[in-house]
Amino acid sequence: MPAKRIIPCLDVKQGRVVKGVQFKDLRDLGHPVQLARRYDAEGADELVFLDIAASIENRGTRETWVREVARELSIPFTVGGGVSHVEDARSLLRAGADKVAVNTAAALRPALVRELADAFGRQCVVAAVDVKRDPALGWRVYLKGGTEPTERSVQDWLWELSDLGAGEILLTSMDRDGTGEGFDIPLLDLASKLPIPLIASGGAGREIHFLEALEHGADAVLAATLFHEGILPISQLKAYLAHNDLSVRI
Amino acid sequence: MSDTGIITLIDYDAGNLASLEGALDRLQLPCQRAATPDGLAPDGPVILPGVGHFEAAQRSLRDRGWWRLLPTLVAEGRPLLGICLGLQLLAEGSEEAPRASGLGLIPGLVRRLGPGVKVPHMGWSRVSEHRMHPALPDLHGAWLYFVHSYALEPTVETICVAEHGRPFAAVQARGLVLGFQAHPEKSGEAGLSMLKSTLAWMGVAAPAPEAPCN
Repeated sequence: MPAKRIIPCLDVKQGRVVKGVQFKDLRDLGHPVQLARRYDAEGADELVFLDIAASIENRGTRETWVREVARELSIPFTVGGGVSHVEDARSLLRAGADKVAVNTAAALRPALVRELADAFGRQCVVAAVDVKRDPALGWRVYLKGGTEPTERSVQDWLWELSDLGAGEILLTSMDRDGTGEGFDIPLLDLASKLPIPLIASGGAGREIHFLEALEHGADAVLAATLFHEGILPISQLKAYLAHNDLSVRI
Repeated sequence: MSDTGIITLIDYDAGNLASLEGALDRLQLPCQRAATPDGLAPDGPVILPGVGHFEAAQRSLRDRGWWRLLPTLVAEGRPLLGICLGLQLLAEGSEEAPRASGLGLIPGLVRRLGPGVKVPHMGWSRVSEHRMHPALPDLHGAWLYFVHSYALEPTVETICVAEHGRPFAAVQARGLVLGFQAHPEKSGEAGLSMLKSTLAWMGVAAPAPEAPCN
């Protein structure tokens, strides 16, 4: 079994890493390369960059910073945001990204996932899924940054993604995101039955939350604020996980 | 050992060259991309990277004129480093493409990983050292980053093994030919030190730091 991975997530807007509450009051945290270097040095296992304002116009800007990050970083990284065609993914992978993340476009046209897996191999395809608890469906899948509900339940969609050729699932609990109250453990129990790796996201507040998620079947854990603000240094988190007998890269 | 060579990076549409170039750049090692043998540096090691399908990669190398040339280069004493699929292509053959043969520069066969584990094997795994090699730093217990579904079966020439369901060759060597199943350019400090020491052994080193002015 490979080591459990710790993944900082960086939101990027027009070539700058930003931080805000629900995409409002965005604060500039720096250039992607600057943060990539910092997290590489701190012991992150992988990075995820989400381009939160992806558009056709800023495609050139994006390729430029992806190329710069690829040259500087000595760990793998994923780029997501507005990937809706094989060609979008090709340009990101050519620029040096290791994987691409798809979300809304895949839900609107599931064949995209298969096309990406066929073109680049499933290890390049991360399917991001945002869900919220729902009395009728258990967990309901949302699109467009969590603003648009669908009729899909998380079970149906996750297994379909896996069958289509997704290499990995990045699963965000919208109920927990930003609360710092811990990951949605029943959700992880369900999703960890998938035959592909699972990245848990949404709710990390303390060391023990990461331990819980990883013990409940997540292969990797993702967080933003905790790491960006230096509240929980990655080295401290890894030491804690290792102390609790999890296999982590130290 | 001379350190005048330039690394030739084979560019055949089957790899993440940007990251590898970035890593060589950070190590201050001179390299050039070569899509065909016309771009081959006059001397210095050759790196064969690769991700994707064994047979597609083999076809692309044939079409570009590399497939026949590589064994000749090795016979002439040119060091060769295969990375990921690049390592697998150096072997005799792969289960991924039973009808295609490998370059046969290192003995051994490539087999699919599993059963009983998630494939592809993707992530950080620890390697254990089977034997020492002058090209390499001490890698025992090092964490390296892997992304692959097939792997070379360990042989007597295996330097390091890693495990995913069963042990496989993570680093393989025969003469001046080396192969890394892991991605050194994605394996943090451990990966960079592997690249640096292997390429130094192959004759390419970073320029010495300038003497301080007194």
